[in-house]
Amino acid sequence: MLGRRGTLKFLAGPPLVWLALFFLLPLFLIAAFSFRAGSGAIGPSDPWAPSVEQYQEVLGTPAFMRLLGVSVLVAVGVAGFATLLAYPVAYFLTFRAGSHASLYLTLLLVPFAVSYLLRVMAWKLMLGPEGGINSLLGSLGLTEEPIGLLLYSRPAVIITLVYVWIPFAALPIYAAMQRIDRNHLEAAADLGAGPWARFWRVTVPLSLPGALATFFMVFIPTVGEYVTPSLVGGTDGIMYGNIIQGFFTRSANWPMGSAMAMIMLGLTLTLVVVALRVVDLRRVAA
Amino acid sequence: MTPQAARLGRRGSLGVGRTRVPLGPFYGAMLALLYLPIAILFVFSFNAGTALSFPIEGLTLDWYGEVLANGAMLDAARNSLVVGVGSATLATALGSMVAVAVLRFRFRGRSLLLALAGLPLIVPFVVMGVAFFLLFVAVDVPRSLFTVGIGHSIIAVPYATLIVLARLSGLDPALEDAAMDLGATYPSTLRRVVLPLMGQTLLSAWLTCFIVSFDEIALAIFLVGGDPTFPVFLYGQLRFAQRLPVLIAMAVLLMVGTVALTLIAMRLRQARWAERSPYRL
Amino acid sequence: MRVPVARHHTAFVLLASLALILAACGSSAQSSGPTATTAASEASESEPASAAAEPNELLVLDWSGYEADDFWTDFKAANPDTEVAFEFGDTDANILALMQGGSQADIFHFYTGWQQFYVDEGLVQEIDTSKLANWDKVPDRYQELGQIDGKQYFVPWDWGFTSILYNTEQVDEVTSWDALFNEEYAGHVSMWNDGPGAVAVSSYVNGWDETALTEDQLAQIEADWIAQKSLNAFYWSGEYTDLCPAVQDGTVWVAYAWQGCYATALAAGDPVAYANPEEGRNSWVGLYGISSDTDSYELALEFLDLKLAELSCGNAVTLFYYGCANGDVMAAIEDPVLIEAFGINDPSILESTNFTPLVTEEQREAWTGMWERVQAE
Repeated sequence: MLGRRGTLKFLAGPPLVWLALFFLLPLFLIAAFSFRAGSGAIGPSDPWAPSVEQYQEVLGTPAFMRLLGVSVLVAVGVAGFATLLAYPVAYFLTFRAGSHASLYLTLLLVPFAVSYLLRVMAWKLMLGPEGGINSLLGSLGLTEEPIGLLLYSRPAVIITLVYVWIPFAALPIYAAMQRIDRNHLEAAADLGAGPWARFWRVTVPLSLPGALATFFMVFIPTVGEYVTPSLVGGTDGIMYGNIIQGFFTRSANWPMGSAMAMIMLGLTLTLVVVALRVVDLRRVAA
Repeated sequence: MTPQAARLGRRGSLGVGRTRVPLGPFYGAMLALLYLPIAILFVFSFNAGTALSFPIEGLTLDWYGEVLANGAMLDAARNSLVVGVGSATLATALGSMVAVAVLRFRFRGRSLLLALAGLPLIVPFVVMGVAFFLLFVAVDVPRSLFTVGIGHSIIAVPYATLIVLARLSGLDPALEDAAMDLGATYPSTLRRVVLPLMGQTLLSAWLTCFIVSFDEIALAIFLVGGDPTFPVFLYGQLRFAQRLPVLIAMAVLLMVGTVALTLIAMRLRQARWAERSPYRL
Repeated sequence: MRVPVARHHTAFVLLASLALILAACGSSAQSSGPTATTAASEASESEPASAAAEPNELLVLDWSGYEADDFWTDFKAANPDTEVAFEFGDTDANILALMQGGSQADIFHFYTGWQQFYVDEGLVQEIDTSKLANWDKVPDRYQELGQIDGKQYFVPWDWGFTSILYNTEQVDEVTSWDALFNEEYAGHVSMWNDGPGAVAVSSYVNGWDETALTEDQLAQIEADWIAQKSLNAFYWSGEYTDLCPAVQDGTVWVAYAWQGCYATALAAGDPVAYANPEEGRNSWVGLYGISSDTDSYELALEFLDLKLAELSCGNAVTLFYYGCANGDVMAAIEDPVLIEAFGINDPSILESTNFTPLVTEEQREAWTGMWERVQAE
């Protein structure tokens, strides 16, 4: 039978091997591509000499750097709103839904089994100038002109992303809330704390790790997001990920696309590490 | 009923006062917003016209009939299901293993393992797609549903890890210590003490991973071989203006199927669970 | 890999095992990959291996939608046992990148302007047109487009126009490509998301030779398109997913468009028109090439030959509203919408049309790089 050490090897081993083989290795190939000169989609077997010209080009183009900064800000906004709005949902599932929690959770996730493309097409039907929402507002006399910013704009991207993320964002918070020992709340009540006090001083602190996990879970992939901006972002909603995609697909310039991706990876990782340090410091101080 | 449970019942739930914050309506509004596009699609799946615009040109069941007759579409749906189930199970297993290893053991590469498990989140799918393409071309592995499954398992691992981690971190290690004091080995403890308590979490994690895989196209389009998954198939068919309603009908059917499957799985789990434990968590 | 499993998760494990078994059975029953490269390298000379030694499968690198049976139905009928699998690319650049990156596709599909790259990189082999029964149905002009240095490397298949599609209720008659830059239509313009396309438009508007642009001219083009961004509602990538719905619901009034959306909107009775700009329309032709690495040369030839057949080629016309390289098919079109869309009754259109010229590597890099900068501004 396996001892503790053996169990560890068995638990940590397979994920490590799988991730190393099918994640680190491909990523390494991309990193290698980013250090190539030239702009073609060069075959992997073509000879190459290391060069930083791709990085120079990317870092030296103000438009790209500005867009990266904007994308980070958008990601922070989306993550913030998604976490904020997902929190009550998670709370509802934990403390109100009772035995139906699993069902309610499933109901939240199930729409995602329907093709995103089709759902967005349906959404556009509602959001467009001749669409349902504008027709409704118009017929109620609330607006004279169709509202442009609901579609093909940066706000449209943020709204859509938040909307899409909320069910997934609720999950880590829900998981963290579930583990809150009811006895803590009992004790607080016994000591005279009212409902709001119990919430702020027991529930929130104990579920904070889950909320933080959610924030990062949403923030990290959103920096490089490109699908939603291409569907609803229009000209103004373009994000850094669209340019990466552009270099890979529109321009056949894999080295450039790889360099842009590596830069974004580096920045995101740095931001996350810094943020985690800050958070840890605060918790230690508290 | 325990005294605590009785007090819980009398006081309502131990959260913010029931009448003050409209949490239920908030959830309801959320749900309504999520299902609005689904409702629109549902309506259009009966539309006699082929354009996705109002007004509706009459009702028909023809599109559903065509779905059942369309072998290629059903194959694509089956492929998506297979890849989804396979990759979700793999990702959930791997994610759980990482979570347990990181939380219950101290070892040198601990934070590294955790970071690695979360890293796939950072890489945009189009980059992963090219990366996988390069990898599989380099080792001369032909693209197939297997390669799609591999790709999906990788991108789903962060979600599984995160969810299991969040729940597991709240599980009192004393429970496991108690089991081992009573003579159980650690693997046995994991199986008989930890897993039952994690049941619902594992289900959520699995469902999330399944859904991530089921509708994923950016990676799949690079990794699919002769057998397309449904999103890849759908994307190709969207070029045919006349075929839109059939696609919508299929998508609706798939959603209904997913709901049914999940509900069955939940029923199964709850029934067995009720047999075992008088406590509800 | 054994994983600790509790009793009530047996259902999941069983389900997962079943899934994996199904996947294994599914994949092996319909093999999706090409054969090993060692065999392929022997066949890389233009002399094809004997047909009997060729594997009975093809891998085609094509655009999403083109994998549909309708577009190779004649081949399917003639070779029911052949496994035809598809890989996907979604732009000309992407297709080139995949081929250069080592794709094992036997056949690939791209559009005019990119021919030279494939020849220079040694990715394509000559087509033996004597083996194509339908070759004489392809008009000379299209045959020539598939030639480099007099050698036939590519088979044309689909083609179409690019022009300005506009809403006749919102917009006065469009007579020039500069309608895309007209401030009156701010917020209602849509341009295709493509650098070379943008360069072509600017060349037409300014009367420049797009094959010989100077650096100053290119800088001007970049500045013009950056300024144009404020007029643009969105850049479209998918004709039927992005552009057509927006044209039909009135969001977009003026668009750089292929005739597919025009035909769709016309058939639906929408108030649209397809311009005949004074600078001339643009025309593109889809070309199929056979990989120099393939070990299924004969089979690939047959595939392309039968694609040119009446039904397979005709389906491009009826399903995508694209033109087909089979002259007989085009001559037999009766649908008034299609006649209007292809300008069949107006020969002057084709005469003033600018066919997409070949692009050099430097131009490709410059134009696509410029376009990404425009996107990012």
